[in-house]
Amino acid sequence: MFDEPYRWIDAIHQRRDYIAEQLDRATPVVGISVSEGILLASFHRQNPKIYELYDRIAMGGIGHPADLETVRGILLNMAHVEGFQRSSTDVSIERLALFGLAPRLKAAFEDVSAPPIILDVLLSEVGKTGRDDRFIQVSFDGNLQRATEMMVLASTEEMEEKMTGLLRDRIPAGERTLAKVLPVVSRVFMDILFSPEELGMDESGNLLSPEKFSECESRLFEDRQWEGALQDRNAPARIKKVPYSGDKSK
Amino acid sequence: MERMRALRIDKEGRGGFVPPNTGYFPDLLKQEGSYRQVRIHEKGPVSGAAHGTTILAFHFRDGVLVAGDRRATASNRIMSNRVDKVLEIDDSALLAISGSPAMALEMARVLDHSLKFYRRSQLTEISLEGKVRILAQLLKENLPMAVEGIGAVVPLFVARDPATGAVRIYFYDILGAHFEGVEFSVGGSGSPEVQGILRYLDRWNPRPLREMSREEAIVLSLRLLETASYFDSATGGVDSQDPIWPVIKLLTPGTLETVDERTIAEIYRNEVMRVR
Repeated sequence: MFDEPYRWIDAIHQRRDYIAEQLDRATPVVGISVSEGILLASFHRQNPKIYELYDRIAMGGIGHPADLETVRGILLNMAHVEGFQRSSTDVSIERLALFGLAPRLKAAFEDVSAPPIILDVLLSEVGKTGRDDRFIQVSFDGNLQRATEMMVLASTEEMEEKMTGLLRDRIPAGERTLAKVLPVVSRVFMDILFSPEELGMDESGNLLSPEKFSECESRLFEDRQWEGALQDRNAPARIKKVPYSGDKSK
Repeated sequence: MERMRALRIDKEGRGGFVPPNTGYFPDLLKQEGSYRQVRIHEKGPVSGAAHGTTILAFHFRDGVLVAGDRRATASNRIMSNRVDKVLEIDDSALLAISGSPAMALEMARVLDHSLKFYRRSQLTEISLEGKVRILAQLLKENLPMAVEGIGAVVPLFVARDPATGAVRIYFYDILGAHFEGVEFSVGGSGSPEVQGILRYLDRWNPRPLREMSREEAIVLSLRLLETASYFDSATGGVDSQDPIWPVIKLLTPGTLETVDERTIAEIYRNEVMRVR
């Protein structure tokens, strides 16, 4: 069936379109370096998206829950075996992504005879200082992207760029503490998930109707749950839950 | 049964069915070929294997004190006077090791990874009984090394029960049988004297062990270890020229504290050395 090259290429294109379509409705996952560590945040409907993988290392993912679980299992096994055999400091997201996950996802993506793996993954590694924090995104086709300060995992590049831009514009200058960043992240989710009209804002982003904004926030929590986690750089062996910090006044 | 299994992608990216992850880390290590039992088929104890210790744990007013000396010996040789035998497994569990340091430290490492692996893979904390059972399983798997005479490990396990907050002491035999040490437990070659003193104090002292204050408990642990080192050459004492202090940790319903060396030194000088 796929013995002719163009048929295989055609199948790959269809596969890519199919996976992109499946990921289309996913709520983004944000990873952002703060003074206290790394904040990971998202909303989910049914299944959590943010998980602790190993000391200093966490993952966020969008996609099919069963595929996320598969990948989570692979990464957990690899990290713990490697950490046991050598040292916990030898386990890094670079090694997990480059040697553990990317080759498998690429092979799975290109095996058009098998069902596709539907997911994108964000790996985060908290360092001793903010300068040491690392993010890697591994796509369903095995492609890697790296970042240091923050990373948004979303279904499209446009969404990632928009959200990253909003975060960069709105996070106050100076020391980037969790207390400063969390309300901004919460608010940016509102701007991503609802249109300005729904939020009661004009074209310039001024809030005209706080009632409409509150209504959107209530709707958001009716069918989704907030998921916030801090990878504490002073206690990196266990992620901590971070409560939602909406700001209805703006 | 087949439907109960989970899909996994292998190293080549192919889908395949493998048994679901049980969260039991030693199984994963065995699957990866990283945890093998060693048998040497030699009769009797092998000279050169390091052993000898005194470890102790007892209840006091706030929780449980766990202490251990720092010496490792091999036959009549002192291998090290700086071994940490009281290990933090997580923020609610301590493992005090006696016996073969090589096997005991490996066991502590497996246990540490096992608890973290369980929590991260199963997305829930393991129960206290579950922790106790993992260590029992590791001891059972170590039996060949124990009967060879070079790898016996007899640990004390002290952990906070997440359901009640109570701190409990467990002791084991080399086969993995585990028992709760209601008031105290001891281990290692220097333990007979310590066990006798603890039993005496708990039974006939005006106040039982559980009513001792934090400072009284620390003083007692230092005196017990000093007594053990007096009778047992494999238990390290405190060298006045180059003091190496015992490790003392306190696990309470809300905290896990390592008693700092300055405090130990001060108490040792005032309450152990100068008192007759």
